[in-house]
Amino acid sequence: MAGSRRALLAGLASAWAGTAAEAAAPAPAPQLGPRWGMVVDLARCIGCQACTVSCIMENAVPPDSLRTIVNTYEVTKDGVVGMAMLPRLCNHCADAPCLPVCPVGATFQRADGIVVVDSDRCVGCAYCVQACPYDARFINHETNKADKCTFCAHRVDAGLLPACVESCVGGARIFGDLNDPHSTVRQRLDAEPSAVLKPEAGTQPRVFYLHLDPLLSGKVEGTPTLWRPQHEGA
Amino acid sequence: MPEITEIIGITREVAWLPWAVTYFFLIGLSVGAFALSLPHYAFGRPGWARIGRLGLLGALAAGLAAPVALLADLHQPGRFWHFYAYPNPSSWMAWGAFFIPTYLGGLFLYAWMALRPALAEDAAARGWLAPLYRLLGGPARPGLLRGFALLAAVGAALVLLYTGMEVMVVRARPLWNTPFLPVQFALTAFAGAAGFLLVLDRLTEGHEPAAEAKLNRLLAGLLLVSLAVGAAWFALGALGLEATHAAALASVRGHHSFQALALWGQAAVLAAILLALLRPAGSGWLTGLVALHAAWMFRWAVFIGGQSVPKTGPGFYDYHLPMGPSGLLGILGSMGLLVFLLVLLDALMPPARSRAAIAGATGKA
Repeated sequence: MAGSRRALLAGLASAWAGTAAEAAAPAPAPQLGPRWGMVVDLARCIGCQACTVSCIMENAVPPDSLRTIVNTYEVTKDGVVGMAMLPRLCNHCADAPCLPVCPVGATFQRADGIVVVDSDRCVGCAYCVQACPYDARFINHETNKADKCTFCAHRVDAGLLPACVESCVGGARIFGDLNDPHSTVRQRLDAEPSAVLKPEAGTQPRVFYLHLDPLLSGKVEGTPTLWRPQHEGA
Repeated sequence: MPEITEIIGITREVAWLPWAVTYFFLIGLSVGAFALSLPHYAFGRPGWARIGRLGLLGALAAGLAAPVALLADLHQPGRFWHFYAYPNPSSWMAWGAFFIPTYLGGLFLYAWMALRPALAEDAAARGWLAPLYRLLGGPARPGLLRGFALLAAVGAALVLLYTGMEVMVVRARPLWNTPFLPVQFALTAFAGAAGFLLVLDRLTEGHEPAAEAKLNRLLAGLLLVSLAVGAAWFALGALGLEATHAAALASVRGHHSFQALALWGQAAVLAAILLALLRPAGSGWLTGLVALHAAWMFRWAVFIGGQSVPKTGPGFYDYHLPMGPSGLLGILGSMGLLVFLLVLLDALMPPARSRAAIAGATGKA
Protein backbone atom coordinates (compact mmCIF):
# COMPACT_ATOMS: atom_id res chain seq x y z
CA MET A 1 0.00 0.00 0.00
CA ALA A 2 2.80 2.36 0.99
CA GLY A 3 4.58 1.39 -2.19
CA SER A 4 1.59 2.14 -4.36
CA ARG A 5 1.13 5.47 -2.60
CA ARG A 6 4.76 6.27 -3.27
CA ALA A 7 4.24 5.31 -6.91
CA LEU A 8 1.22 7.61 -7.15
CA LEU A 9 3.12 10.52 -5.63
CA ALA A 10 6.06 9.86 -7.92
CA GLY A 11 3.63 9.90 -10.83
CA LEU A 12 2.13 13.20 -9.72
CA ALA A 13 5.59 14.69 -9.31
CA SER A 14 6.47 13.50 -12.78
CA ALA A 15 3.25 14.97 -14.15
CA TRP A 16 4.09 18.26 -12.41
CA ALA A 17 7.51 18.31 -14.01
CA GLY A 18 5.83 17.67 -17.36
CA THR A 19 8.28 17.56 -20.19
CA ALA A 20 11.01 19.17 -18.14
CA ALA A 21 12.36 15.67 -17.62
CA GLU A 22 13.71 15.74 -21.19
CA ALA A 23 16.61 17.89 -20.09
CA ALA A 24 17.99 15.10 -17.93
CA ALA A 25 17.19 12.13 -20.13
CA PRO A 26 19.50 9.20 -19.37
CA ALA A 27 21.75 7.83 -22.07
CA PRO A 28 20.27 4.75 -23.79
CA ALA A 29 21.24 1.58 -22.02
CA PRO A 30 23.14 -1.00 -24.04
CA GLN A 31 20.65 -3.34 -25.62
CA LEU A 32 20.88 -6.85 -26.92
CA GLY A 33 18.18 -6.32 -29.51
CA PRO A 34 17.87 -3.79 -32.31
CA ARG A 35 17.11 -0.08 -31.91
CA TRP A 36 15.48 0.89 -35.15
CA GLY A 37 16.20 4.27 -36.66
CA MET A 38 16.21 6.09 -39.95
CA VAL A 39 18.74 8.20 -41.77
CA VAL A 40 17.46 10.57 -44.45
CA ASP A 41 20.05 11.68 -46.96
CA LEU A 42 18.56 14.95 -48.16
CA ALA A 43 21.03 15.17 -51.04
CA ARG A 44 19.30 12.15 -52.55
CA CYS A 45 15.67 13.20 -52.01
CA ILE A 46 13.99 14.41 -55.20
CA GLY A 47 10.63 15.24 -53.61
CA CYS A 48 8.70 12.71 -55.67
CA GLN A 49 6.36 11.83 -52.75
CA ALA A 50 6.59 8.12 -53.56
CA CYS A 51 7.14 7.59 -49.83
CA THR A 52 4.02 9.61 -49.03
CA VAL A 53 1.88 7.57 -51.39
CA SER A 54 3.31 4.17 -50.46
CA CYS A 55 2.74 4.94 -46.78
CA ILE A 56 -0.88 5.81 -47.49
CA MET A 57 -1.36 2.60 -49.45
CA GLU A 58 0.45 0.38 -46.96
CA ASN A 59 -1.23 1.77 -43.84
CA ALA A 60 -4.68 2.70 -45.18
CA VAL A 61 -4.19 6.31 -44.14
CA PRO A 62 -7.52 8.10 -44.64
CA PRO A 63 -8.01 11.16 -46.86
CA ASP A 64 -6.77 14.50 -45.48
CA SER A 65 -4.26 12.74 -43.22
CA LEU A 66 -0.63 11.81 -43.66
CA ARG A 67 1.84 9.78 -41.66
CA THR A 68 4.72 11.08 -43.70
CA ILE A 69 5.18 13.77 -46.32
CA VAL A 70 8.05 15.42 -48.13
CA ASN A 71 7.86 19.10 -47.24
CA THR A 72 9.15 21.10 -50.18
CA TYR A 73 10.53 24.61 -49.93
CA GLU A 74 11.84 27.21 -52.31
CA VAL A 75 14.88 28.76 -50.65
CA THR A 76 16.50 31.96 -51.90
CA LYS A 77 20.00 32.64 -50.60
CA ASP A 78 22.15 35.48 -51.90
CA GLY A 79 19.92 35.78 -54.93
CA VAL A 80 20.24 32.10 -55.78
CA VAL A 81 16.99 30.15 -55.83
CA GLY A 82 16.92 26.45 -54.99
CA MET A 83 14.58 23.72 -53.87
CA ALA A 84 14.87 21.99 -50.51
CA MET A 85 13.14 18.73 -49.58
CA LEU A 86 12.46 17.63 -46.05
CA PRO A 87 10.73 14.28 -45.51
CA ARG A 88 8.89 14.38 -42.19
CA LEU A 89 7.59 11.48 -40.12
CA CYS A 90 7.41 10.36 -36.51
CA ASN A 91 10.90 10.65 -35.02
CA HIS A 92 10.45 7.67 -32.65
CA CYS A 93 12.20 9.79 -30.04
CA ALA A 94 14.18 8.17 -27.26
CA ASP A 95 12.49 10.65 -24.90
CA ALA A 96 9.16 10.94 -26.67
CA PRO A 97 6.88 13.67 -25.21
CA CYS A 98 3.81 11.81 -26.45
CA LEU A 99 4.39 8.96 -23.99
CA PRO A 100 3.99 10.57 -20.55
CA VAL A 101 0.89 12.57 -21.50
CA CYS A 102 -1.21 9.61 -22.66
CA PRO A 103 -3.76 9.25 -19.84
CA VAL A 104 -4.33 5.54 -20.39
CA GLY A 105 -0.87 4.40 -21.45
CA ALA A 106 -2.06 3.56 -24.95
CA THR A 107 1.04 5.11 -26.50
CA PHE A 108 4.15 3.15 -25.68
CA GLN A 109 7.65 2.45 -26.89
CA ARG A 110 8.61 -1.05 -27.87
CA ALA A 111 11.93 -2.51 -26.78
CA ASP A 112 13.25 -1.84 -30.27
CA GLY A 113 12.45 1.88 -29.93
CA ILE A 114 9.41 2.05 -32.18
CA VAL A 115 6.68 4.26 -30.68
CA VAL A 116 3.25 2.77 -31.30
CA VAL A 117 -0.36 3.27 -30.24
CA ASP A 118 -2.42 0.45 -28.74
CA SER A 119 -5.59 1.11 -30.70
CA ASP A 120 -7.62 -1.13 -28.39
CA ARG A 121 -6.80 1.14 -25.49
CA CYS A 122 -6.63 4.61 -27.10
CA VAL A 123 -9.51 6.87 -26.03
CA GLY A 124 -8.89 9.44 -28.77
CA CYS A 125 -8.25 12.29 -26.34
CA ALA A 126 -5.59 13.75 -28.69
CA TYR A 127 -3.29 14.76 -25.83
CA CYS A 128 -0.42 13.04 -27.67
CA VAL A 129 -1.29 15.02 -30.81
CA GLN A 130 -0.79 18.21 -28.82
CA ALA A 131 2.43 17.03 -27.16
CA CYS A 132 4.31 15.99 -30.30
CA PRO A 133 6.64 18.85 -31.30
CA TYR A 134 6.87 17.51 -34.86
CA ASP A 135 3.15 17.52 -35.74
CA ALA A 136 3.63 13.84 -36.54
CA ARG A 137 0.38 12.65 -34.95
CA PHE A 138 -3.25 13.13 -35.86
CA ILE A 139 -6.69 11.75 -35.07
CA ASN A 140 -7.67 9.22 -37.70
CA HIS A 141 -11.23 10.10 -38.73
CA GLU A 142 -12.02 6.53 -39.70
CA THR A 143 -10.86 4.89 -36.46
CA ASN A 144 -11.28 7.93 -34.17
CA LYS A 145 -7.97 7.08 -32.54
CA ALA A 146 -4.53 8.60 -32.47
CA ASP A 147 -2.54 7.71 -35.58
CA LYS A 148 1.09 8.07 -36.59
CA CYS A 149 4.02 6.49 -38.42
CA THR A 150 4.99 3.15 -36.89
CA PHE A 151 8.12 2.64 -39.00
CA CYS A 152 5.78 0.04 -40.56
CA ALA A 153 6.31 -2.14 -37.49
CA HIS A 154 4.22 -4.93 -39.02
CA ARG A 155 6.64 -5.08 -41.95
CA VAL A 156 9.75 -4.70 -39.81
CA ASP A 157 8.60 -7.58 -37.60
CA ALA A 158 8.29 -9.67 -40.74
CA GLY A 159 11.81 -8.79 -41.82
CA LEU A 160 10.77 -6.20 -44.41
CA LEU A 161 11.68 -2.55 -44.78
CA PRO A 162 9.16 0.23 -44.07
CA ALA A 163 7.08 1.02 -47.15
CA CYS A 164 8.53 4.51 -47.50
CA VAL A 165 12.07 3.15 -47.50
CA GLU A 166 11.31 0.44 -50.02
CA SER A 167 9.62 2.90 -52.39
CA CYS A 168 12.19 5.69 -52.09
CA VAL A 169 13.34 6.38 -55.65
CA GLY A 170 16.60 8.08 -54.77
CA GLY A 171 17.52 5.83 -51.88
CA ALA A 172 17.29 8.82 -49.55
CA ARG A 173 15.57 6.94 -46.74
CA ILE A 174 17.80 4.40 -45.04
CA PHE A 175 16.41 2.21 -42.26
CA GLY A 176 18.24 -0.05 -39.90
CA ASP A 177 19.48 -1.01 -36.47
CA LEU A 178 21.31 1.83 -34.74
CA ASN A 179 22.84 -0.68 -32.30
CA ASP A 180 24.43 -2.71 -35.08
CA PRO A 181 27.88 -1.36 -35.99
CA HIS A 182 27.63 -3.05 -39.39
CA SER A 183 24.28 -1.51 -40.35
CA THR A 184 24.21 1.16 -43.04
CA VAL A 185 22.45 3.63 -40.73
CA ARG A 186 25.14 3.25 -38.08
CA GLN A 187 27.97 3.48 -40.58
CA ARG A 188 26.55 6.57 -42.29
CA LEU A 189 25.99 8.28 -38.94
CA ASP A 190 29.52 7.42 -37.83
CA ALA A 191 31.03 8.62 -41.09
CA GLU A 192 29.06 11.81 -41.80
CA PRO A 193 27.77 14.79 -39.86
CA SER A 194 24.05 14.45 -39.15
CA ALA A 195 21.33 16.49 -37.52
CA VAL A 196 17.91 15.99 -35.99
CA LEU A 197 14.85 18.22 -36.07
CA LYS A 198 14.30 20.56 -33.12
CA PRO A 199 17.27 19.33 -31.09
CA GLU A 200 16.47 22.00 -28.50
CA ALA A 201 13.27 20.10 -27.63
CA GLY A 202 15.46 17.44 -26.03
CA THR A 203 13.42 14.60 -27.42
CA GLN A 204 16.40 12.66 -28.85
CA PRO A 205 14.87 11.81 -32.23
CA ARG A 206 15.87 8.58 -33.94
CA VAL A 207 15.35 9.99 -37.42
CA PHE A 208 18.59 11.61 -38.53
CA TYR A 209 19.16 13.89 -41.50
CA LEU A 210 22.28 14.24 -43.63
CA HIS A 211 22.85 17.61 -45.33
CA LEU A 212 20.08 19.34 -43.36
CA ASP A 213 20.00 23.11 -43.77
CA PRO A 214 19.77 24.61 -40.24
CA LEU A 215 17.09 26.96 -41.62
CA LEU A 216 14.76 23.97 -41.84
CA SER A 217 15.58 22.11 -38.64
CA GLY A 218 13.15 24.01 -36.42
CA LYS A 219 9.87 25.75 -37.09
CA VAL A 220 10.39 27.05 -40.61
CA GLU A 221 9.82 30.78 -40.97
CA GLY A 222 8.73 32.03 -44.35
CA THR A 223 5.76 32.17 -46.66
CA PRO A 224 3.25 29.38 -46.11
CA THR A 225 1.89 27.31 -48.93
CA LEU A 226 -1.38 28.51 -50.39
CA TRP A 227 -2.77 24.99 -50.73
CA ARG A 228 -3.86 23.82 -47.30
CA PRO A 229 -6.71 21.40 -47.48
CA GLN A 230 -8.47 20.76 -44.19
CA HIS A 231 -11.03 18.21 -43.19
CA GLU A 232 -14.24 20.07 -42.41
CA GLY A 233 -16.95 19.05 -40.03
CA ALA A 234 -15.10 16.06 -38.63
CA MET B 1 18.53 37.03 -45.13
CA PRO B 2 17.40 33.84 -46.88
CA GLU B 3 13.81 33.70 -48.03
CA ILE B 4 11.78 30.52 -47.75
CA THR B 5 8.52 29.73 -49.49
CA GLU B 6 6.72 26.54 -48.57
CA ILE B 7 5.66 24.75 -51.75
CA ILE B 8 4.27 21.54 -50.28
CA GLY B 9 3.24 21.49 -46.65
CA ILE B 10 0.75 19.85 -44.37
CA THR B 11 -2.19 21.12 -42.39
CA ARG B 12 -2.94 19.52 -39.07
CA GLU B 13 -6.48 20.24 -38.04
CA VAL B 14 -7.60 21.22 -34.57
CA ALA B 15 -7.58 18.07 -32.41
CA TRP B 16 -9.03 19.57 -29.23
CA LEU B 17 -12.36 20.71 -30.58
CA PRO B 18 -14.72 23.44 -29.33
CA TRP B 19 -15.94 20.74 -26.93
CA ALA B 20 -12.69 21.30 -25.00
CA VAL B 21 -13.34 25.04 -24.85
CA THR B 22 -16.85 24.30 -23.60
CA TYR B 23 -15.60 21.90 -20.92
CA PHE B 24 -12.93 24.28 -19.61
CA PHE B 25 -15.50 27.09 -19.64
CA LEU B 26 -18.19 25.16 -17.78
CA ILE B 27 -15.96 23.50 -15.19
CA GLY B 28 -14.36 26.88 -14.47
CA LEU B 29 -17.79 28.46 -13.97
CA SER B 30 -18.79 25.60 -11.69
CA VAL B 31 -15.70 25.89 -9.49
CA GLY B 32 -16.04 29.69 -9.28
CA ALA B 33 -19.76 29.55 -8.52
CA PHE B 34 -19.13 26.94 -5.82
CA ALA B 35 -16.57 29.27 -4.20
CA LEU B 36 -19.14 32.07 -4.21
CA SER B 37 -21.67 29.86 -2.44
CA LEU B 38 -19.34 29.25 0.51
CA PRO B 39 -19.70 32.58 2.38
CA HIS B 40 -23.40 31.88 2.96
CA TYR B 41 -23.65 28.12 3.35
CA ALA B 42 -20.28 27.22 4.88
CA PHE B 43 -19.36 30.38 6.79
CA GLY B 44 -22.77 31.90 7.55
CA ARG B 45 -21.80 35.37 6.39
CA PRO B 46 -24.82 37.72 6.60
CA GLY B 47 -25.96 39.32 3.34
CA TRP B 48 -24.75 36.44 1.15
CA ALA B 49 -27.97 34.37 1.04
CA ARG B 50 -28.94 35.36 -2.49
CA ILE B 51 -25.41 34.94 -3.84
CA GLY B 52 -25.11 31.63 -1.98
CA ARG B 53 -28.18 30.15 -3.64
CA LEU B 54 -27.19 31.45 -7.07
CA GLY B 55 -23.70 30.06 -6.51
CA LEU B 56 -25.03 26.64 -5.62
CA LEU B 57 -27.42 26.68 -8.57
CA GLY B 58 -24.67 27.70 -11.00
CA ALA B 59 -22.11 25.28 -9.58
CA LEU B 60 -24.49 22.32 -9.86
CA ALA B 61 -25.77 23.14 -13.35
CA ALA B 62 -22.37 23.92 -14.88
CA GLY B 63 -20.79 21.02 -12.97
CA LEU B 64 -23.32 18.57 -14.42
CA ALA B 65 -23.01 19.91 -17.97
CA ALA B 66 -19.21 20.11 -18.06
CA PRO B 67 -18.38 16.37 -18.12
CA VAL B 68 -20.77 15.90 -21.05
CA ALA B 69 -18.65 18.27 -23.14
CA LEU B 70 -15.50 16.56 -21.91
CA LEU B 71 -16.79 13.15 -22.95
CA ALA B 72 -17.81 14.54 -26.33
CA ASP B 73 -14.26 15.81 -26.91
CA LEU B 74 -12.99 12.24 -26.64
CA HIS B 75 -13.04 10.67 -30.06
CA GLN B 76 -13.86 7.40 -28.28
CA PRO B 77 -16.33 8.49 -25.56
CA GLY B 78 -17.46 4.91 -24.93
CA ARG B 79 -13.96 4.14 -23.67
CA PHE B 80 -14.04 6.69 -20.82
CA TRP B 81 -13.71 3.79 -18.39
CA HIS B 82 -10.16 3.25 -19.68
CA PHE B 83 -9.20 6.29 -17.59
CA TYR B 84 -9.96 4.24 -14.47
CA ALA B 85 -8.88 0.84 -15.76
CA TYR B 86 -5.48 1.92 -17.15
CA PRO B 87 -4.46 5.20 -15.47
CA ASN B 88 -1.06 6.57 -16.45
CA PRO B 89 0.14 8.57 -13.43
CA SER B 90 2.56 10.69 -15.47
CA SER B 91 -0.35 12.33 -17.30
CA TRP B 92 -2.23 15.28 -15.84
CA MET B 93 -5.26 14.20 -17.83
CA ALA B 94 -5.24 10.84 -16.02
CA TRP B 95 -5.26 12.64 -12.66
CA GLY B 96 -8.09 14.83 -13.89
CA ALA B 97 -10.25 11.73 -14.30
CA PHE B 98 -10.03 11.30 -10.52
CA PHE B 99 -10.16 14.98 -9.57
CA ILE B 100 -13.42 15.65 -11.45
CA PRO B 101 -15.49 13.06 -9.50
CA THR B 102 -13.83 14.18 -6.26
CA TYR B 103 -15.01 17.72 -6.89
CA LEU B 104 -18.45 16.82 -8.19
CA GLY B 105 -19.04 14.22 -5.47
CA GLY B 106 -18.07 16.75 -2.82
CA LEU B 107 -20.24 19.39 -4.50
CA PHE B 108 -23.36 17.18 -4.54
CA LEU B 109 -22.92 16.18 -0.89
CA TYR B 110 -22.24 19.79 0.11
CA ALA B 111 -25.32 20.97 -1.80
CA TRP B 112 -27.42 18.29 -0.11
CA MET B 113 -26.27 19.33 3.36
CA ALA B 114 -26.64 23.02 2.50
CA LEU B 115 -30.23 22.57 1.35
CA ARG B 116 -31.27 19.88 3.84
CA PRO B 117 -33.24 22.08 6.30
CA ALA B 118 -34.91 24.01 3.47
CA LEU B 119 -35.86 20.78 1.68
CA ALA B 120 -37.61 19.52 4.81
CA GLU B 121 -39.40 22.82 5.19
CA ASP B 122 -40.49 22.84 1.56
CA ALA B 123 -41.77 19.25 1.50
CA ALA B 124 -45.41 20.11 2.24
CA ALA B 125 -45.61 22.46 -0.72
CA ARG B 126 -44.11 20.04 -3.24
CA GLY B 127 -47.09 17.82 -4.04
CA TRP B 128 -46.09 14.40 -5.35
CA LEU B 129 -42.44 15.21 -4.77
CA ALA B 130 -43.05 15.65 -1.04
CA PRO B 131 -41.75 12.16 -0.06
CA LEU B 132 -38.50 12.82 -1.88
CA TYR B 133 -38.10 16.18 -0.15
CA ARG B 134 -38.84 14.57 3.23
CA LEU B 135 -36.31 11.85 2.48
CA LEU B 136 -33.58 14.30 1.53
CA GLY B 137 -34.58 17.01 4.02
CA GLY B 138 -33.90 17.13 7.71
CA PRO B 139 -32.27 19.13 10.45
CA ALA B 140 -29.08 21.05 9.69
CA ARG B 141 -25.82 19.14 10.11
CA PRO B 142 -23.19 21.90 10.34
CA GLY B 143 -20.31 19.47 10.85
CA LEU B 144 -21.15 17.41 7.78
CA LEU B 145 -21.85 20.56 5.78
CA ARG B 146 -18.39 21.92 6.50
CA GLY B 147 -16.78 18.55 5.91
CA PHE B 148 -18.37 18.16 2.49
CA ALA B 149 -17.60 21.83 1.71
CA LEU B 150 -13.96 21.07 2.48
CA LEU B 151 -14.04 17.97 0.27
CA ALA B 152 -15.55 19.96 -2.60
CA ALA B 153 -13.07 22.81 -2.03
CA VAL B 154 -10.13 20.39 -2.22
CA GLY B 155 -11.66 18.86 -5.37
CA ALA B 156 -12.21 22.31 -6.86
CA ALA B 157 -8.60 23.30 -6.20
CA LEU B 158 -7.40 20.06 -7.80
CA VAL B 159 -9.63 20.66 -10.82
CA LEU B 160 -8.18 24.16 -11.25
CA LEU B 161 -4.68 22.74 -10.81
CA TYR B 162 -5.03 19.91 -13.33
CA THR B 163 -6.87 21.92 -15.99
CA GLY B 164 -4.11 24.53 -15.89
CA MET B 165 -1.19 22.12 -15.71
CA GLU B 166 -2.57 19.78 -18.37
CA VAL B 167 -2.32 22.57 -20.91
CA MET B 168 0.75 24.29 -19.50
CA VAL B 169 3.06 21.26 -19.75
CA VAL B 170 2.61 21.00 -23.52
CA ARG B 171 6.00 22.38 -24.58
CA ALA B 172 5.20 21.74 -28.22
CA ARG B 173 2.74 24.65 -28.13
CA PRO B 174 4.59 27.77 -26.96
CA LEU B 175 1.35 29.68 -26.42
CA TRP B 176 0.31 27.13 -23.80
CA ASN B 177 3.68 26.53 -22.21
CA THR B 178 3.83 29.52 -19.85
CA PRO B 179 3.70 29.42 -16.04
CA PHE B 180 1.04 32.14 -16.09
CA LEU B 181 -1.51 30.00 -17.92
CA PRO B 182 -2.95 28.09 -14.91
CA VAL B 183 -3.28 31.40 -13.03
CA GLN B 184 -5.03 32.99 -16.00
CA PHE B 185 -7.40 30.04 -16.31
CA ALA B 186 -8.26 30.29 -12.60
CA LEU B 187 -8.74 34.07 -12.59
CA THR B 188 -10.93 34.08 -15.69
CA ALA B 189 -12.91 31.18 -14.22
CA PHE B 190 -13.68 33.15 -11.06
CA ALA B 191 -14.47 36.33 -13.04
CA GLY B 192 -16.68 34.30 -15.38
CA ALA B 193 -18.45 32.77 -12.38
CA ALA B 194 -19.15 36.22 -10.90
CA GLY B 195 -20.58 37.20 -14.28
CA PHE B 196 -22.56 33.94 -14.40
CA LEU B 197 -24.17 34.75 -11.05
CA LEU B 198 -24.94 38.31 -12.15
CA VAL B 199 -26.82 36.94 -15.14
CA LEU B 200 -28.55 34.29 -13.01
CA ASP B 201 -29.57 37.01 -10.57
CA ARG B 202 -31.54 38.67 -13.35
CA LEU B 203 -32.84 35.45 -14.87
CA THR B 204 -34.22 33.89 -11.71
CA GLU B 205 -36.84 35.13 -9.31
CA GLY B 206 -35.80 37.26 -6.35
CA HIS B 207 -33.36 39.79 -7.87
CA GLU B 208 -31.54 41.69 -5.14
CA PRO B 209 -29.83 45.00 -6.00
CA ALA B 210 -27.53 44.60 -2.98
CA ALA B 211 -26.35 41.19 -4.17
CA GLU B 212 -25.89 42.56 -7.68
CA ALA B 213 -23.76 45.43 -6.38
CA LYS B 214 -21.65 43.03 -4.29
CA LEU B 215 -21.10 40.73 -7.26
CA ASN B 216 -20.26 43.67 -9.52
CA ARG B 217 -17.61 44.96 -7.12
CA LEU B 218 -16.16 41.47 -6.86
CA LEU B 219 -16.23 41.12 -10.62
CA ALA B 220 -14.43 44.43 -11.12
CA GLY B 221 -11.68 43.32 -8.75
CA LEU B 222 -11.27 39.94 -10.46
CA LEU B 223 -11.22 41.47 -13.92
CA LEU B 224 -8.64 44.03 -12.80
CA VAL B 225 -6.37 41.29 -11.49
CA SER B 226 -6.91 39.30 -14.70
CA LEU B 227 -5.94 42.33 -16.77
CA ALA B 228 -2.86 42.90 -14.60
CA VAL B 229 -1.75 39.29 -15.04
CA GLY B 230 -2.39 39.57 -18.78
CA ALA B 231 -0.30 42.74 -18.91
CA ALA B 232 2.50 41.00 -16.99
CA TRP B 233 2.31 38.06 -19.44
CA PHE B 234 2.67 40.46 -22.34
CA ALA B 235 5.46 42.46 -20.72
CA LEU B 236 7.50 39.36 -19.89
CA GLY B 237 7.25 38.25 -23.52
CA ALA B 238 7.62 41.62 -25.24
CA LEU B 239 10.64 42.66 -23.17
CA GLY B 240 12.19 39.21 -23.46
CA LEU B 241 12.43 38.86 -19.68
CA GLU B 242 11.38 35.22 -19.65
CA ALA B 243 11.98 32.66 -22.38
CA THR B 244 8.65 30.79 -22.37
CA HIS B 245 6.64 34.01 -22.47
CA ALA B 246 8.83 35.40 -25.25
CA ALA B 247 8.28 32.18 -27.22
CA ALA B 248 4.54 32.33 -26.56
CA LEU B 249 4.30 35.88 -27.82
CA ALA B 250 6.52 35.15 -30.82
CA SER B 251 4.34 32.19 -31.79
CA VAL B 252 1.35 34.45 -32.40
CA ARG B 253 3.24 37.38 -33.90
CA GLY B 254 1.49 38.12 -37.16
CA HIS B 255 -1.60 36.15 -36.13
CA HIS B 256 -4.07 38.91 -36.91
CA SER B 257 -7.25 37.20 -35.71
CA PHE B 258 -5.55 36.30 -32.40
CA GLN B 259 -4.41 39.89 -31.93
CA ALA B 260 -7.85 41.26 -32.80
CA LEU B 261 -9.37 38.85 -30.30
CA ALA B 262 -6.94 39.92 -27.57
CA LEU B 263 -7.59 43.60 -28.18
CA TRP B 264 -11.33 43.06 -28.28
CA GLY B 265 -11.18 41.11 -25.01
CA GLN B 266 -9.12 43.80 -23.25
CA ALA B 267 -11.48 46.56 -24.40
CA ALA B 268 -14.60 44.63 -23.37
CA VAL B 269 -13.14 43.81 -19.96
CA LEU B 270 -12.10 47.43 -19.37
CA ALA B 271 -15.62 48.60 -20.25
CA ALA B 272 -17.10 46.00 -17.88
CA ILE B 273 -14.80 47.10 -15.04
CA LEU B 274 -15.80 50.74 -15.47
CA LEU B 275 -19.49 49.90 -15.67
CA ALA B 276 -19.33 47.59 -12.64
CA LEU B 277 -17.60 50.27 -10.56
CA LEU B 278 -19.65 53.25 -11.72
CA ARG B 279 -23.03 51.54 -11.64
CA PRO B 280 -22.75 48.44 -9.44
CA ALA B 281 -26.54 48.09 -9.09
CA GLY B 282 -28.41 47.92 -12.37
CA SER B 283 -25.60 46.92 -14.75
CA GLY B 284 -25.51 43.21 -13.88
CA TRP B 285 -26.95 42.04 -17.16
CA LEU B 286 -24.25 43.72 -19.19
CA THR B 287 -21.25 43.22 -16.91
CA GLY B 288 -22.26 39.59 -16.34
CA LEU B 289 -22.53 38.84 -20.03
CA VAL B 290 -19.21 40.57 -20.76
CA ALA B 291 -17.51 38.54 -18.02
CA LEU B 292 -18.93 35.30 -19.43
CA HIS B 293 -17.89 36.37 -22.90
CA ALA B 294 -14.35 37.15 -21.71
CA ALA B 295 -14.01 33.78 -19.93
CA TRP B 296 -15.19 31.97 -23.07
CA MET B 297 -13.05 33.97 -25.48
CA PHE B 298 -9.92 33.53 -23.36
CA ARG B 299 -10.31 29.77 -23.60
CA TRP B 300 -11.19 29.98 -27.27
CA ALA B 301 -8.06 32.04 -28.00
CA VAL B 302 -5.88 29.63 -26.02
CA PHE B 303 -7.25 26.38 -27.45
CA ILE B 304 -8.30 27.19 -30.99
CA GLY B 305 -5.76 30.01 -31.44
CA GLY B 306 -2.98 27.86 -30.00
CA GLN B 307 -3.76 24.97 -32.32
CA SER B 308 -3.73 27.22 -35.37
CA VAL B 309 0.01 27.76 -34.94
CA PRO B 310 1.90 25.14 -37.00
CA LYS B 311 4.63 23.34 -35.09
CA THR B 312 6.94 22.95 -38.04
CA GLY B 313 5.69 25.06 -40.92
CA PRO B 314 5.39 28.80 -41.53
CA GLY B 315 2.23 30.90 -41.24
CA PHE B 316 -0.94 29.80 -39.48
CA TYR B 317 -3.63 27.23 -40.08
CA ASP B 318 -7.06 28.52 -40.95
CA TYR B 319 -9.90 27.50 -38.67
CA HIS B 320 -13.50 27.59 -39.77
CA LEU B 321 -16.09 26.69 -37.17
CA PRO B 322 -17.96 23.64 -38.46
CA MET B 323 -21.73 23.84 -38.21
CA GLY B 324 -22.14 20.28 -36.89
CA PRO B 325 -21.56 18.54 -33.56
CA SER B 326 -17.83 19.30 -33.54
CA GLY B 327 -18.58 23.00 -33.91
CA LEU B 328 -21.55 25.31 -33.57
CA LEU B 329 -24.13 22.60 -32.90
CA GLY B 330 -21.98 21.18 -30.11
CA ILE B 331 -21.59 24.59 -28.47
CA LEU B 332 -25.30 25.38 -28.74
CA GLY B 333 -26.20 21.93 -27.47
CA SER B 334 -23.96 22.30 -24.42
CA MET B 335 -25.38 25.72 -23.63
CA GLY B 336 -28.89 24.35 -24.12
CA LEU B 337 -28.12 21.61 -21.64
CA LEU B 338 -26.82 24.22 -19.20
CA VAL B 339 -30.00 26.29 -19.52
CA PHE B 340 -32.15 23.17 -19.08
CA LEU B 341 -30.27 22.20 -15.93
CA LEU B 342 -30.54 25.74 -14.58
CA VAL B 343 -34.30 25.80 -15.11
CA LEU B 344 -34.74 22.34 -13.61
CA LEU B 345 -32.56 22.95 -10.57
CA ASP B 346 -34.02 26.40 -9.98
CA ALA B 347 -37.47 24.85 -9.89
CA LEU B 348 -36.40 22.06 -7.56
CA MET B 349 -34.15 24.03 -5.23
CA PRO B 350 -35.83 25.76 -2.28
CA PRO B 351 -35.71 29.57 -2.36
CA ALA B 352 -32.90 31.44 -0.64
CA ARG B 353 -33.28 31.85 3.08
CA SER B 354 -31.17 33.62 5.64
CA ARG B 355 -29.35 31.34 8.06
CA ALA B 356 -31.43 32.82 10.88
CA ALA B 357 -34.60 31.71 9.11
CA ILE B 358 -33.13 28.25 8.49
CA ALA B 359 -32.10 27.93 12.14
CA GLY B 360 -35.57 29.07 13.23
CA ALA B 361 -37.30 26.58 10.98
CA THR B 362 -35.04 23.78 12.14
CA GLY B 363 -35.62 24.72 15.75
CA LYS B 364 -39.39 24.55 15.27
CA ALA B 365 -39.05 21.16 13.64
